[in-house]
Amino acid sequence: MTFGKPLSSRRNCALICLFVLLECVVRASVAAAGPEWTVETLLALLKDQREPSVGFEEATYSSLLTEPLKVRGMLRFTPPATMEKSITDPFHERYLIEGDKVTFESERKHVRRTISLEDYPALRSFVEAFRASLTGDAVQLHKVYEVTMNGTRGKWTLLLRPKETTGKSVLDYILLTGSEGRVATIAIRSTDGDRSVMTLLRGAAR
Amino acid sequence: MSRRYSVASFWVLVMIYGLWLVFTRVAVHSELADLLPEGTTSTQRLLLTQVRSGVAGRLMLLAIDGGGPDELSDLSKQFSERLRASGHFTLIANGAQALDQGDREILFQSRYLLSPQIGPHSFSTDSLRQALEQRLDDLRSPLATLIKQTIPGDPTGEFMTLLSAWSGQEGPAKYRGVWVSRDRSKALLLAETKAAGFDADAQAAIQQDVRQTFASLVEHAAPRLLMSGPGVFAVEIKQTIEAEAWWLSTAAATLVLLFLYLSYRSITLVLLSLIPLSTGIMAGMLAVQGWSGFIHGITLGFGITLLGVVDDYPIHLFSHLTARSSASAVMDAIWPTMRVGVLTTTIGFASLLLGGFPALSQLGLFATVGILTAAVVTRWVLPIFVPNDFLPRQIRRGFSSSLERLSGMKLLIPVAVLLACGALLWSHTPLWETDVASMSPVSDAKKQLDQQLRQELSAPDVRDLLVIEGQTEEDVLQYGEVLMPKLERLRADNTIGGYDLISTYLPSRRMQQERQKSLPERNVVKRDLEIALRGLPFAPGLFTPFLDAIETARTQPVVERKVFEGTALGIRMASLLFEQSQNWTAVVPLRGVADRKRLGEIVTGWNMPTVAYVDLKEESNRLMTSYRDRTFAIVMGGLLTITLVLAIGLKSIRVLWPILLPIMSALVVVAAVVNLLGESLSLFHIATFLLVIGLGLDYALFFNRPEGDEEARARTLYGLLVCSTTTILVFGILASSTIPVLHAIGITAAIGSFCCLVFAGMMAQKELHAAV
Repeated sequence: MTFGKPLSSRRNCALICLFVLLECVVRASVAAAGPEWTVETLLALLKDQREPSVGFEEATYSSLLTEPLKVRGMLRFTPPATMEKSITDPFHERYLIEGDKVTFESERKHVRRTISLEDYPALRSFVEAFRASLTGDAVQLHKVYEVTMNGTRGKWTLLLRPKETTGKSVLDYILLTGSEGRVATIAIRSTDGDRSVMTLLRGAAR
Repeated sequence: MSRRYSVASFWVLVMIYGLWLVFTRVAVHSELADLLPEGTTSTQRLLLTQVRSGVAGRLMLLAIDGGGPDELSDLSKQFSERLRASGHFTLIANGAQALDQGDREILFQSRYLLSPQIGPHSFSTDSLRQALEQRLDDLRSPLATLIKQTIPGDPTGEFMTLLSAWSGQEGPAKYRGVWVSRDRSKALLLAETKAAGFDADAQAAIQQDVRQTFASLVEHAAPRLLMSGPGVFAVEIKQTIEAEAWWLSTAAATLVLLFLYLSYRSITLVLLSLIPLSTGIMAGMLAVQGWSGFIHGITLGFGITLLGVVDDYPIHLFSHLTARSSASAVMDAIWPTMRVGVLTTTIGFASLLLGGFPALSQLGLFATVGILTAAVVTRWVLPIFVPNDFLPRQIRRGFSSSLERLSGMKLLIPVAVLLACGALLWSHTPLWETDVASMSPVSDAKKQLDQQLRQELSAPDVRDLLVIEGQTEEDVLQYGEVLMPKLERLRADNTIGGYDLISTYLPSRRMQQERQKSLPERNVVKRDLEIALRGLPFAPGLFTPFLDAIETARTQPVVERKVFEGTALGIRMASLLFEQSQNWTAVVPLRGVADRKRLGEIVTGWNMPTVAYVDLKEESNRLMTSYRDRTFAIVMGGLLTITLVLAIGLKSIRVLWPILLPIMSALVVVAAVVNLLGESLSLFHIATFLLVIGLGLDYALFFNRPEGDEEARARTLYGLLVCSTTTILVFGILASSTIPVLHAIGITAAIGSFCCLVFAGMMAQKELHAAV
């Protein structure tokens, strides 16, 4: 699995996005929060209130395309470290992250491939940071991203901009919106202007 | 008197001139490759060429051991940078990057000639539609950014196909972008030196430099550098040989001189015995130099030890000296006996010349010339230097009678031979050594480290190969293309785990031209693409780069091997396809061969005369075995010749028995003892049989020589005892060597010499004395 650097860092970024998405999405529902509304409070809330699975709808906007591409599927999280994004419509595809291993399965392409996070140092350091934040510690997240929070507890946005050059070269920003401990949308914008917007379908998993 | 002086001064002049030649002309080599045989079959020649200069031989396995994984990965990155900058290597791989920008550029530009997917229907409406739908899936996937950039120019994904073919092999585990062992306790690197693996001097310099580079990167002592590979082994072997040659020869020389002095209590005698020896060594060196243009360090070290045997000649002279006879007279008297011994020993060693094994040929010549010279010097020069009143220590009377008792135990010989035969028959140790690896002087610890690093680096020692041969590069590449689907089938049914075939990377000229012909014209592709695009949301005009690329590919020059020269791709290709004695050869390393016999049958069943399956281990064992059989035949031939010479020299068949029988019996017993010690007979044991035969003859001849009285006989026996003890000492020391070859020679000669002495003593027949 030795692809070149530019490609692999792009893939890193894609996977980073996937991670952000998975991590944020699977925390939901309202929680009792502290008096002050900070990034730390929000992360703690997300961690405490995560759900085992949630449905999603994702639209991809690309300069190569005249209209957005849409997929639907399910996000799952099984503690301590297994995450899954499975697309169910219009085709079947699955990304499974277990510890350091990423497995990609595609029905249409007849592919099943496993790569190691160790092959992608930038991704790995990010994952570590994110896992640290799962425990309510935002310090690691601040290390990798410039974190800006806006809005109120009832309607907030969280903007993440990569700090490291590997991240910067492909990822412009990740923007999460939500209310209380619930994420509503995740938008990921790459440096070439392409973006994807994921809307979480609350209750779909229930 | 004047004749004596003139002979003496002539000898002195010859010695001075000879020494001058030795110091100015003789080139001592230490390259192990010089000692390798040429090989008798083309596969063996290929194998040996690969061993001498092939890529496998230039591989260096490196590991950084000890320290945390983060420290190790940083160290690996810095270390690989420094090694690349050193200029010693054609390749340094630590997992960071497989293909550089230049390589990727070549692959992308030539994708329509190189991709195996390109055929007559690659750009039909259906194929295009399918490819375009897959690209939409790619854009929808989280990996979109990975692929997006190549979509407009390469909608059918040829570049990705090429990249995955080139990186198809599973590599070692990785941590933070560099190769590590599975438990992350070591960072792993793979290097390919410019110098040949067998070039021990160059390898030693490189390894020294690598160690220094590493030391300069490490501040504290924790991480250490582990190195392995053929080059590292070559250096270790050379150092072992040099160190052992020095201490073995020093120890042997000291012991022999000390023993000589203790036996005769005369410094004069010790000095005198050095005259034939030194002349013999000098003549041997000059002869080998003149014949091969160099003398190998091993030949020199070991040859000198072998020539220690010629010390027997002056001892024979001294042991026959009495107060009444002059040295010249004694020499005249014992010369006929000595002459037969010299002649037969020389025949024995000369037969080594016919073996075709360079190491042994050099040795044979060195010994032959050395022995003849030493004998001639003993005969005509040595007596001149013996002082008139010189008389070695008196020997105790009755000494002979104690030895006489030996002959009463004659029956022990057949008993010993029977026991030996029984031992050989019932032994669990195989009689013949067939594994070349057992001849390697590399320590077990080093071999284990090598195995471990190879396993962790997924760089197994290549054992199974297919070899494709052809007149031209193009022929070989075309054969490779015929082979590819067959290998794919073998992989599918798990007969092999994998293969590395040049055709995966470089299609033949013909194949590329066929692909070019199958590429449609621009307006045809454009029309089909428009049909395929119907209903898909791709931006208009997006695929213009694709149309341009097809247009260009129709007329672009075919990709040749030289385009890749100097890149990582080029290095990989050079290891798989090379020119050898005006023919082109491709080697196809196979991984995970389950059943070698079945694979051999399958390959034969293909009926492709240009393709052969080679089991390298089996082949190198066969090489060794064939040389052993040849040496065995030579030893037998030598023995026959010796018998003939003896029969003529002694003018009697009857007297042959007490001379030949002890020797033959001794050989059987030696074989049995070596076997009981847990060793199997190799080429080198067999070659040493010649030496044993030579020694045994010498003893037997003198045992059976008529002596005037009891005292004379006692002196002869004493002399024989001194001779054989020095021999046993010299070879006993050799037997303690850690170098398997020297150990084999030492143990065979030491035991053989002892058996020959005892057996010859037992069978010595007084009544036959008159015949000699």
